[in-house]
Amino acid sequence: MAYLSLSNITKQFGDVVVVDDFNLEMERGEFVSFLGPSGCGKTTTLRMVAGFEIPTSGKITLDGNDITNKAPNQRNVGMIFQAYALFPNMTVAQNIGFGLRIRRQAEGEVVNRVNEMLSLVNLETHADKYPYQLSGGQQQRVSLARALAIRPEVLLLDEPLSALDAKIRVSLRAEIRAIQKRLGITAIFVTHDQEEALSISDRIVVMNVGEIEQVGTPFEIYNFPKTQFVANFVGSLNNADAEVVDPANGILAMDGVHFQTAEEDFVNRRKGDKVKISIRPERFSFAADPKKENVVDCTVENITFLGAVVRIQIKIGNTKFNMDTFNNPFLELPAIGAREQVMCSKEAVLVL
Amino acid sequence: MAQTAIQLKSSGTATTNWRVWLGVAPFLLFAFLFLFLPSLRLFTASFTDSDGNFTLSNIIQLFSEPFIVNAYKLSIQISAVTAVGGGILGFLMAYAVTVGGLPRSLRSVLITFSGVASNFAGVPLAFAFVATLGRQGFITHILRDYLGVNIYDAGFNLYSFAGLSLVYMYFQFPLMVLIMAPALDGLKREWREAAENLGATTTQYWLRVALPVLLPSILGAMILLFGNAFGAYATAYALTGGRIGIVTIQIGAQIRGDVLYNPGLGYAMAIGMVVIMAVSLAGYSWLQAKTERWLR
Amino acid sequence: MNFWSRLRRFPLWSWIWFIIGGLYFVLPLLATFEFSLSWDPEIPFKAYQRAFEDNDFWETFIYSNILALATIVVSIILIVPTAYWIRLRLPEARRLVEFITLMPFVVPAIILVFGLIRIYSSPFNIPFTDIRLMQPLTNFKAGTNILIVAGYMVLAMPYMYRSVDTGMRTVDIRTLTEAAQSLGANWYTIVTKIILPNIRSALLSGALLTFAIVVGEVTLASFLGVDAFGPYLFLLGQHRAYEPAALSFVSFLLTWLAMGLIQLFTGGQGQAAGAH
Repeated sequence: MAYLSLSNITKQFGDVVVVDDFNLEMERGEFVSFLGPSGCGKTTTLRMVAGFEIPTSGKITLDGNDITNKAPNQRNVGMIFQAYALFPNMTVAQNIGFGLRIRRQAEGEVVNRVNEMLSLVNLETHADKYPYQLSGGQQQRVSLARALAIRPEVLLLDEPLSALDAKIRVSLRAEIRAIQKRLGITAIFVTHDQEEALSISDRIVVMNVGEIEQVGTPFEIYNFPKTQFVANFVGSLNNADAEVVDPANGILAMDGVHFQTAEEDFVNRRKGDKVKISIRPERFSFAADPKKENVVDCTVENITFLGAVVRIQIKIGNTKFNMDTFNNPFLELPAIGAREQVMCSKEAVLVL
Repeated sequence: MAQTAIQLKSSGTATTNWRVWLGVAPFLLFAFLFLFLPSLRLFTASFTDSDGNFTLSNIIQLFSEPFIVNAYKLSIQISAVTAVGGGILGFLMAYAVTVGGLPRSLRSVLITFSGVASNFAGVPLAFAFVATLGRQGFITHILRDYLGVNIYDAGFNLYSFAGLSLVYMYFQFPLMVLIMAPALDGLKREWREAAENLGATTTQYWLRVALPVLLPSILGAMILLFGNAFGAYATAYALTGGRIGIVTIQIGAQIRGDVLYNPGLGYAMAIGMVVIMAVSLAGYSWLQAKTERWLR
Repeated sequence: MNFWSRLRRFPLWSWIWFIIGGLYFVLPLLATFEFSLSWDPEIPFKAYQRAFEDNDFWETFIYSNILALATIVVSIILIVPTAYWIRLRLPEARRLVEFITLMPFVVPAIILVFGLIRIYSSPFNIPFTDIRLMQPLTNFKAGTNILIVAGYMVLAMPYMYRSVDTGMRTVDIRTLTEAAQSLGANWYTIVTKIILPNIRSALLSGALLTFAIVVGEVTLASFLGVDAFGPYLFLLGQHRAYEPAALSFVSFLLTWLAMGLIQLFTGGQGQAAGAH
């Protein structure tokens, strides 16, 4: 049985439906990200788990208990806010000990636990500082320590890294993931940054306008997106219009150029159907490979050097495609205007 | 410092500092002529006796002359009472329209009214209260005719310390509202949510987080209210005609005619008042700085 | 959401405090209005008629308005360039000037008038000599007027300065000036086309507050012997019953109008001038 389950959760504000029939089952110790653009309902859903919003309908169960209508201070879930939310009138140590003192634990125990948390987030020397004396990254770590101190059953993180510098974001997200794994605590992480979600999650829930688009591991979400939205939101994508030529063998024509796809439900399509195909830029290559079924002619239009990645703009038929390849100083790239053959596998051709 | 002054000039050459100060000279001259010079005159004159010699006796008499000590005591009392009373009521009203959950429209109504009421002091305010709680006042009538309570028989008198306090409160608590509303806005919603999330009840949140964070702001505002009441003259004079001997009334009497038979004493009283106001301003500023640090 | 959780969210105490405070605000005004109407049951507005028929009312009221206008104009001429100069050329002066604008709180009206009278009712001599520079200002009417306008300027200065300074900061007057200069504008153009229009609402707000302070002012006016509206109203209260109530109510309406306009122009932050 799932540790945390959200069943048919819907949230309405007046006439506006912000979350529509959200269903998710999480195992204990799982790290799940809610990923989507602003306004997609991910934060609202998180806040319903925390108790700051009550669902209009649906049920939330934690470890067998129905917590849907429980007050937020009765739930024993730990929350990390985007704006840190440290109490400005208390030191770091006092902030971390807050939840424990509310629960009337013995002072000795509180001090021990606070020290334990301080070393967990590497802030032992900052115990007596006030929040305004800390950097953003440090404040967020205190926030993490404060939430973990009370031994919550679930950890909820509401875009905790959005307010931080790029470098700190990367190091802190790794730290958060390491701590989560070490403690084995179930966690929900809300973000609009796909790189964050991809790098640290066990599973990702991609949301759009209140609905779930897809749930899967990072690998699945990236390589086998189920909808246009997911494919476009996570990673970059080439899109083109095409027509079905041979449904039984999965062959389509784009600008007269034939592509073969591995999509399973192609048998239901008829010849002449108009579809959209999508191919990730890094799936193209110039090198011959028997596993790459599609071999098509193209013209090289433009080459942009981006550092680790070299982006080559090619034209297949009448349509421009982006092709990404790793930088290799010893490999000669084709000249602009050259006619080349480019290949990709049939699994790379997505029909969404 | 000199570096910055040079860089900010739109012309390329560095000029000597003093020329730039000419730009603020008119303002400084004005302040000197009409603010500092008068104050200075009062200050030096308070150390002068009737023959023009230096003396400390005026200052000493501030603390020894019972008549003067009483005046200060009254002023301090009424200022403290209305600062605390106005402070509490003002805080509660500011709370009601910010964190307290009343509709947004009520907030702007309250802010406008507070702006009006805190400026509505002096003669019109005194008259308004006479019409309300005077012997023939509106409320006096209602209480007598509908509730059978005659407040004047019971000992209440508008033209007394209690009555004056009630009148002062009319501009004190709106001032508190105007100061506290922005401060209460500074209470981040996340603090409350974080506290709830960690298990705290609303009371615990207020006692452990919100009130401590707001305390410098509240204290600072009350000190400001104290100074505000201490310096008030027209309202008291219009209401009681000089019967209640607070410091400002005594000074007013002294200006009109040397009732103390010692001009130096009048100046000393004035300086004593300035000192009290300066201390309260310093207290307020210090607490404001502390507030800003936390509510940034 | 069930009934009980909805009830839990109803801000009962907030409403209670709001109503208590609201009553405190409104009752005196109501009482004044009611009293002002009760002179003659057949002619409810008799008090207002009589009040407005009095020539002295018009004289003193208009005079106070003129004083207010003079205070506003001279304040703007003095303060706007100063605030601008500090922003652009002399940030070092900021602390000093801001300190000065706090002084009127420490030196309230009664003390200010005390000092002003003592200084300016004696003749100006060059120090340590008997050479007379100027007769006492209070000896002649124009001098007294100068004195009272100066006094009002001192009282209004904190609000005017703060208003103008905030207005300049909000529009980042410095960047605007530099942009204008790089486009070739001269100082006259900069002042009239860039500075003044952009701080219009700040000026209005400061002006309205000054107006509210000056028209009702009593302390300075009565001690300096100026025939302003404040002393008139006070004197009226000694002899008459209903007209003062009527005028007090009118004065309240005027203050409300001024504050409402300020709200309109600044969009939200109330301004307090404190007690008199």
